[in-house]
Amino acid sequence: MQNNTQAPTPTHRLDMHGEPCPYPAIKTLEALRELEDDDILEVISDCPQSINNISIDVKNHGFKVIHIDTSTPSVRYFVKR
Amino acid sequence: MNFIEEIKKYLVSFWQPVSAVIALGVLSVYYFGITGTYWAVTGEFTRWGGHALQFFGVDISEWGYFEIMHMDGNIFTRVDGVMIIGMFAGVMAAALWGNNVKWRLPASKIRIYQALIGGIIAGFGARPGMGCNLASLFTGIPQFSAHAWFFTLAMMVGVYLGVKVTQLPFFQSKVKLQKLSCGIETQSNKSRDEGKVKRFFSIGTFVFLAMILWAMYLIFVANSQKLGAAMLFGGAFGLVIAKAQICFTSAFRDIFTTGRSQMARAIVIGMIVSSIGIFSYIMMGVAPKIMWAGPNAIMGGMLFGFGIIIAGACECGWMYRAVEGQIHFWIVGIGNVIGSTLLAFVWDDISVPLATSWPKINLLESFGNYGGLFFNYLLLFLLFLLVLKLEKNYLKKSKGKTNHAK
Repeated sequence: MQNNTQAPTPTHRLDMHGEPCPYPAIKTLEALRELEDDDILEVISDCPQSINNISIDVKNHGFKVIHIDTSTPSVRYFVKR
Repeated sequence: MNFIEEIKKYLVSFWQPVSAVIALGVLSVYYFGITGTYWAVTGEFTRWGGHALQFFGVDISEWGYFEIMHMDGNIFTRVDGVMIIGMFAGVMAAALWGNNVKWRLPASKIRIYQALIGGIIAGFGARPGMGCNLASLFTGIPQFSAHAWFFTLAMMVGVYLGVKVTQLPFFQSKVKLQKLSCGIETQSNKSRDEGKVKRFFSIGTFVFLAMILWAMYLIFVANSQKLGAAMLFGGAFGLVIAKAQICFTSAFRDIFTTGRSQMARAIVIGMIVSSIGIFSYIMMGVAPKIMWAGPNAIMGGMLFGFGIIIAGACECGWMYRAVEGQIHFWIVGIGNVIGSTLLAFVWDDISVPLATSWPKINLLESFGNYGGLFFNYLLLFLLFLLVLKLEKNYLKKSKGKTNHAK
């Protein structure tokens, strides 16, 4: 899942710069509940620990992780309903 | 791709957290066998607070808590001290190799107060419990010390209360979901500066090799084998927690915030693995570390659990985040030292009713060697079930909410 697919074009974005975990994961789940089925949400988090929570929480709650980009300190998650 | 590139790729990427925690359990057993002490960090931070007081001319020779902590020597001559130096080298190397060093400023003032106040509460709470979630949990339970069980269960209550508080609207993130116009360009990889990434990688390698050379000097030249070994172990502990982003705080917190128990389960498995290892060393005659099992462990555990949730990290978690440039966690670290120093200050007034008049319960003595071993495993099994049950409850509840909203 990490870096081997092309980043999709998002329809929505959550820029969580500076917010420590667990807030990026909580916000991601909140946002996903508001979105439509075709929407793609990009979450940007510079809390490196989010790598162990956003990707798993999204799946646990029945949503999908499409792509994760860890090439910079600001990790980018592309998720959808 | 050649061999060097393969290794490099491994050092750059994040590691699997579940296997990393189990590896930490195994490492901590050998650490105990070789140094005679358990993997712990808060005790040494408390000593730093004591040294800071000495530096400002305070006479701490009458402070009972510092007497228990053995203030002799300094960070370079104590096992815990050199282990932490190794840990810092490990976390630095991990952050630099992974291109994960960046100034990250807190998003709001609320977070700064959270970091400081939470850090102080956690630092204060860890000390009467005689350890943080290492010495009174991850490496304390495998020592068969009943106090670690009291601390762990009380900590989970504190964690739950902390989550309730941080879920109040006042603490919630103010970030707004942005709607993007279609066809907008993603800024992927634009901010990546390849020159900087390479430089960071080299510095990381330098730091890690320097630590290994220092440890070898201690072992082969200075004839301090224990110190050198402790430093190497510290380097490994640091590398693993940072590469796998191990967070004992999130492990228990996120059972209640998002219903994820993967890490908490991994921690229990890590303790299942290390219990039998520690047991074998104790059978060979190494003395286990047993602490007072009284209100100190329960009160300390609750305060600690509450504090780490407010702060967002515990005493070992802030270390790797601090070197990643997360200012928030520098404040947490300072709060921890302040909190533990405050506890040392009041210790002589509260120690007898809270701690020292209570027995040090060694499960291996209470139930016999094998009785204690099985009892510890029974408790670990029940803890595992509790974690699973809490996760299930959360997901069930949240599913109900989502369906209701639709």
